[in-house]
Amino acid sequence: MGRLKQKGKAGAVKAYITRTSAIRKLQCSLADFRRLCILKGIFPREPRNKKRANKGSSAPASFYYTKDIAYLAHEPVLKKLREHKAFAKKLSRALGRREWSTAKSLEENKPVYRLDHIIKERYPAFIDAVRDIDDALCMIFLFASLPAGDRLSTELVESCSRLASEWQLYVLQTRSLRKVFLSIKGIYYQAEIMDQLVTWLVPYQFTQQIPSDVDVRVMLTFLELYQTVLGFVFFKLYTDVGLVYPPPLDAAKDEGAAGIGAFTLREVTHVSETSNSQPNHKTVEVDGRKVSGKDVRQAIKSIAASSEQDIADSVMSVPEPPAATAEVDEEFVPQPSKSDSVDTSLRTLKSLSSLPQTTQLSLFVPYTFFLSREISRPIFEFLIRSSGGRVGWPASSGSGSPLNENDESITHVIIDRPVIQKTGETSEERERRLRRKYVQPQWVADCINAGKILLEGLYAQGQTLPPHLSPFEEYSFAPSSEDKPDEDMNAVETEEEEEEEAEEEEKEVEQSDSTVEMGDEKGESEDPEKKASKAIAKVTISEDPAALRAAELAAEAAGMDYATFAKEVKKLKKRSHVPSEKDDREEDMNKMMMSNRQRKLYEKMKYSQRKKEAEQAKLAGRRDKLMKERRREAKKTA
Amino acid sequence: MALKRKKASQNESDDADELNAEIANLEMLTDEEEEEQDDSASFDDGQVDDFPEIVQSSDEDESESEDVEDEEDVDEHSSSENDSDTDDDSELHIFPKAKTVVSQITGQPKLVYPDIEPEYDSDSSTEDAPNRVGNIPMHWYDDLPHIGYDINGKKVLRPARGDELDKFLATVEDPSTWTSAFDKNTQTDKSLTAQELDIIRRLYENENPDAAYDPYEPMTEWFTGKGKEEIMPLSAAPEPKRRWVPSRWEKQKVMKIVRAIRQGRILPSKPKSTTKMEFYAIWSQPTAPVAPPPPAPKLNLPLHSESYNPPEEFLPTEEERKEWEEQDIEDREKDYLPNKYSSLRLVPAYDRFIKERFNRQLDLYLAPRVQRVKLNIDPNSLLPKLPSPNSLKPFPTYRSLRFVQSSGRVRCMSISPEGDWVVSGDENGIVILWEVNVGREVKRWKFSGKIGALDWCPRTDACYFVVTTEETIYFLIPPNLTATVFSLTHSLLAPTTLPPTTSSPVKWETASSGTWTLDKPILTVKLPPASGLPIQTTWHRRGDYLATVSNNGAQGGVWIHQITRRHSQAPFKKIKGVVQVVLFHPSKPHFFVATQQYVRLYNLAEQKLVKTFMPGIRWISSMDVHPSGDHLIVGGYDRKLCWFDLELSDKPFKVMRYHSRAIRSLHFHPTYPLFASSSDDGSIQIFHSRVYSDLMTDPLIVPLKILRGHQIREGLGVLQVRWCHSQPWLLSAGADGSVAVWCS
Repeated sequence: MGRLKQKGKAGAVKAYITRTSAIRKLQCSLADFRRLCILKGIFPREPRNKKRANKGSSAPASFYYTKDIAYLAHEPVLKKLREHKAFAKKLSRALGRREWSTAKSLEENKPVYRLDHIIKERYPAFIDAVRDIDDALCMIFLFASLPAGDRLSTELVESCSRLASEWQLYVLQTRSLRKVFLSIKGIYYQAEIMDQLVTWLVPYQFTQQIPSDVDVRVMLTFLELYQTVLGFVFFKLYTDVGLVYPPPLDAAKDEGAAGIGAFTLREVTHVSETSNSQPNHKTVEVDGRKVSGKDVRQAIKSIAASSEQDIADSVMSVPEPPAATAEVDEEFVPQPSKSDSVDTSLRTLKSLSSLPQTTQLSLFVPYTFFLSREISRPIFEFLIRSSGGRVGWPASSGSGSPLNENDESITHVIIDRPVIQKTGETSEERERRLRRKYVQPQWVADCINAGKILLEGLYAQGQTLPPHLSPFEEYSFAPSSEDKPDEDMNAVETEEEEEEEAEEEEKEVEQSDSTVEMGDEKGESEDPEKKASKAIAKVTISEDPAALRAAELAAEAAGMDYATFAKEVKKLKKRSHVPSEKDDREEDMNKMMMSNRQRKLYEKMKYSQRKKEAEQAKLAGRRDKLMKERRREAKKTA
Repeated sequence: MALKRKKASQNESDDADELNAEIANLEMLTDEEEEEQDDSASFDDGQVDDFPEIVQSSDEDESESEDVEDEEDVDEHSSSENDSDTDDDSELHIFPKAKTVVSQITGQPKLVYPDIEPEYDSDSSTEDAPNRVGNIPMHWYDDLPHIGYDINGKKVLRPARGDELDKFLATVEDPSTWTSAFDKNTQTDKSLTAQELDIIRRLYENENPDAAYDPYEPMTEWFTGKGKEEIMPLSAAPEPKRRWVPSRWEKQKVMKIVRAIRQGRILPSKPKSTTKMEFYAIWSQPTAPVAPPPPAPKLNLPLHSESYNPPEEFLPTEEERKEWEEQDIEDREKDYLPNKYSSLRLVPAYDRFIKERFNRQLDLYLAPRVQRVKLNIDPNSLLPKLPSPNSLKPFPTYRSLRFVQSSGRVRCMSISPEGDWVVSGDENGIVILWEVNVGREVKRWKFSGKIGALDWCPRTDACYFVVTTEETIYFLIPPNLTATVFSLTHSLLAPTTLPPTTSSPVKWETASSGTWTLDKPILTVKLPPASGLPIQTTWHRRGDYLATVSNNGAQGGVWIHQITRRHSQAPFKKIKGVVQVVLFHPSKPHFFVATQQYVRLYNLAEQKLVKTFMPGIRWISSMDVHPSGDHLIVGGYDRKLCWFDLELSDKPFKVMRYHSRAIRSLHFHPTYPLFASSSDDGSIQIFHSRVYSDLMTDPLIVPLKILRGHQIREGLGVLQVRWCHSQPWLLSAGADGSVAVWCS
C-alpha cells in the first residue's frame, strides 16, 4: 500500500505561487517585486487548473512559478533593494536631524545594484540577446526623443540618445539595414544582425508628452534594463567588428546638433598604435580604481588628437569600410555615369528584380544626396548612409554636413515641397537643377525595400506618390494602374467595357426573368427565347453536362444561335462563381463525424480563414471600384 | 482753490446723476435736492481740507443725519472719502501717549497717562454704539428684524448680511477681511485697527498686551557688573600635566590609521557609488549550455494599412471610422485608423506612441504567457476522409409523396413486413391504413384517446398489427388479406380453444366471433389500471412476443406479452429509473432496456443483467439495434447520438451531435446498410453504416443526406422514422400531421 497523499503537498499547489504569497515570501514591497520581475524577466504563468493551484479558491490571482520565486529569493538585486530601503531610512533620519555631513556620506555610499549578472543569466549566449533587443531599441529611441524634465533626468535622456546613436552608427558601419517602413506611428527599421532580424520603431521627430495614465516608474525600470543590455550588446558588436566601444563623442559637434556625426568610430588596432588609451581603457573597465585624473586627461587629449587625425583622413567622420569589403563591393557597383542612369531607366522592372541582392548593401554608393531643409535629417541621413550613399544637408538641419548645397557631386536632392517656379535663376543654377534629380523622401524608403534603384519619375517633386507599401507584408495585387504598360491598360478597358455591357444585359435578363415568373403564375404561354435563357440559368446552377445539352436543345428550339448561347452560358457562369452549395453541404455532413475538439479547431480555423478572405475581398472590391472610377475620370478628361 | 473743487465736485455729481439716469434709471432728483446735495458736498470738501481735527464729530453727525434723512443715493464718492478720513483721525486718539515722569515719591521715572476727561464726547466707545441693548446674549434678537434699540429707543435694524458666497468673495476680494471680526453688538464685521491687531498678536504670543510695558524695569545688579568681578580661583590645585603634554595613546591611534592608509587598508576616499554601468565583454567566457528562457513574443510587424501613404482601398469609410471610434479601446481590432498623407512632411506625431510602448511592457511583465504550437495546416485536412455519398447509393434523396393524415400529430407509424402497407396513428385516435406506393387510404379506424404506438407483427404468414391507446392494446387485422393468411391470423388471435388463463393483472379479451368485423380489434389486451399510455411497442423477431412500455405504472411499465399463450408478464419486479425504450435482440434471447441515462442488456433466458451501457446522454429518447445485433445506436433529447459496439465497451464508440434539436427517433434499415435519425428540428439525417464482421475494422459511418420537408409544430418536428423492409425508402411521421415517403 502506497503512502497516503496529503493535500497541498504536491502538484499544482506546489508548482505555483500567487503574487501575494510571493511578495510575503520575499519580504519586499510590491514595487520592489515588480522591479525584480521586470529585471529578471519573470512573468506570471497560467496554471492549467487555476482552482487547484490556488488551493481550491477560485478568486482571481496571478500565479508565478514557485521555482522562479525561489531563485528570486537569492537574487543579489533583492539584497541591494533591501539595503537601499535601510539606506533610505538612514538618510531620512539624518536629514530630519539636520546632520548634513552624515547625509552626505550616506548619499555617497548609497547601495547601487548592478545588472550584468542578470544579463548573463537571461541571455546566456550573445545571439539570445540580439534576438531580444527589439523592444529595447524601441524604448531607447523613444526616450532619446523625450524632453528631459522633472520626471526624466537629463542624464537618462542623454544616455538613451547616445545608445541610439551608437546603434545607428553600428548599422551604418555594417550596412545591415534591410527594410524601412514609413508608417503613421513612426518609422520601422529592420536590420539583419548576426542573421537575426531586428526590427525597431522610431517615432517621428516631435515632442512627445508622457500621458498621465502611464506609469513612468515601470518604463524607467525597463529602460534601466534595456540600457544595460544594449550597452553590453553594443560592446560585443563593436569589438567584434574591431571598433572601440564606446565611440568617443565630439562635444562641439554634439552641441551643433550633428547627431550621429558627433561620434567617431575608431578601430581598436589603429588606436593602440597611436596612443596608449586603449589598454588604459581596459584597466578602467576591469577595476575602476586605478585611474587617476592625469590618465583621464591624457586619454582625452589622445582621443582628441586621434579624432582630428580621423577627420583629416576622411571628409566624413566615419571611416570607410574595411578595404577588402570595399573592393568586393566595387565589383558590383556600376559607375555613376550619365549613360548608366539612362540605362537603368530603360530597364524593365523585371530585369531589375532579377539583379543580384548583393547590390542592396551598397545601393546608394554611386550617388550623393542632398537633403532639403524640410527633410528630417537624422532619419534620412541614417537611411542613405546605411545604404552607402553620401549625404549632405543645409546648416539649418544641424552641423557637420560634409557637403555644401553647391557641391557638384550631388546627384539627388530629397525634397518634400510642392514645385514652385523660381524666377530669378542664373544659368548655372538652372544647369545644376537640371543635372540633379529632385525626389520625394518616399523614394529612398521604397528603393531600400525594393533593393534596387527605382525610377525617379514617379517620385519626382510635386508628383502624387505611389502608395507606400509595408515591406513586411505581401501586396497580392498590382499596386496601381499606372505601373502597367499601356497595352495592358487597353486590354483591361475593353474587358471592362464588355463587363459593363454584360451588366446591362444581365439587367435585361433579370427583368425578363421576373416577367416570365409572373407569366408562370398566371399560367400564360411563354416567349420561347426567354424559356431558353431560363433553361441556361438552370444549367449554370446545376453544372450538369446532360442539363447543358438539354438547355442547348431548348435554345436551339427557341431559335437562338450557338454563339449567343455560349455567351449567355459564360456570363451566367461568371455571375455564379460561388462554390457550389453541394460541396459545402457535403463538408458540413463530414463535419459531424469529427470529434468535438477537432470540430472546434476546424471551426476556429475556418472562421479566421473566412474573416481573412472577407477582408481581402472587401479590399479587392474597393480597389476595383477605385480603379474603375479613376479610369472613368481619365476617359472623361481624355 | 475751493471754488475749483466745488466745480469739480459739481461736475462729478452731475456726471453721477447722468450715470444714474442713464444706467440705473432710478428716481430722478428734483433740482432743489440736487442743489442741497451739492452744497453739502462742497461743505464736506472744505471741511476736510481745512480742519482735519474737527471733522470727526461734525462729519459723523453729518453722515448720521444723512443716513437718517436721505433715502436716496448719496454722493458716495465724497462720503467714502470722509469715512476714510475719520478713520485715520480716530486712529490717532485711541491710545493716548503716556508721558514719562519722575515720581516724586519714589524718585523713579514712571508712565503717566493723560487723564480721561469725563466730557460728553470723551469716551466715544459708549456713545458710538448705536445699539444700546447692553451686554446681553444677542441671540435673543435672532428671530427679530432688529438687533436692539438706539439711544432714542428706536429700533436698530439688522444690517444686511450676505450669504456664504458673499463671505467667501469678501475673503477673496477684500484684503482686510482677515483682519476683521464679527461685532456681536452691531451684527456686522468690523475691521480691526492696527493697535487692536497688535494687542491680539501680543496676547497670542503670551506677552503683555501693552506694547510699552517693560517687565524688567527695576533691575538691580548684585553680583555682576563693574567692580564686582571674581579674581581668585575657586581651587588652588596645580594644572595637570595632561593639559599640555601630547597624548601617547592618541598618537598610537593616529599612527595605526596612518599605517593603514599607507598600506592601503583604509582608502582615504572610497570610490563613490555610481549608477553608471561599465560595459565589458560579458559573453567572452563560454558558459554551461543552459537553455535560455524562451524569448518574449515579438510584436506583429506593421501591415500596409499602417503606411503613411497606403493604397487607397485601405482607407476606412465614414461608417468604419465611426464604428472604430465608438468601439472600446480594448475591442478594437487595430489600434490605429489608416490615414493617407500626401507627403511625408505632413505626417503628424502619433499620439498613442508612449501608451503603446507602455502597454507592451505591461504585457511583458504582467501577462501570463502560454507557449502554443501554431497549427499550420489546411483546415480541410481535419475533415475525415469519407467516401462520397454518390458512391453509396441507394439512399432516399427526395420526397416522393406526402400523406396528410389529420391535423393532429402523427406519433407513430408502421410498415407491413412486405413493405406495401403503412399504418399510421395520430393523437386524435385515428389509425389509417394506406398504401406506400400511391398513398391511397384503404381503411381507417377510430379509437378514443391518443394512439401511443403502432407496430406491425413481423410474421409473414400472419398479418396483423397492434395499436395502443390508454391502458389498452388492440390487435387489428388489415383488410384485403388472402384467405389463408386471414384464417391463420384469425385463428392466432382468436383461437377456438383458449389456452389456460394465468393469474395476471393483464386481461386478454377476444372479440366474439359473431359480432367481430374488420372495423373492430379482434383482440384487446387490457393493461392494469393506471398504467398509462403504452408509448412503445416492439415485437420479437418471431412475432410471438410483444413488449410494451407504458409511460407510468409499476415495474417500469414494461410488459412482455406472448400471443400464443395469451399471457402477459412484467419481466422486472423493480427497475431503477423510468424506462424509455425496450428492444429485443435480433438474434439472441437478450432484451435492451433504456432508462433515462443508461441502457441495460438483460439475458431473458438466464434472467440476469448482462451489461450496462453508459451513453452519457441526459435523457434517452430512442434506441435501435443493428440487424446483426452487434451494434446499438442510442439517441437522446440532448441531441446526441451514440453508437455502441456491444462487444467493445460500455462506452460509446462514437458520439455525434449534428441535430440542432432533440433526436426523436432512430431506425436501422433491416437489409441496407443505412440508418436514419429524425429530430425536432424538422430534419431527417440519413447515414450509411457499414459494419464489418472483422473485429479489427471500425464500423464506417458516413452521413449521406439531410432530408427536410416536415414542418415544426409547437417545437416538435419529425416524430418517427421507419424504413421500408425491402426498399431503401424511408417513411417519416411528423408533428405537422403528415407522413412522408422518401425515395431514392
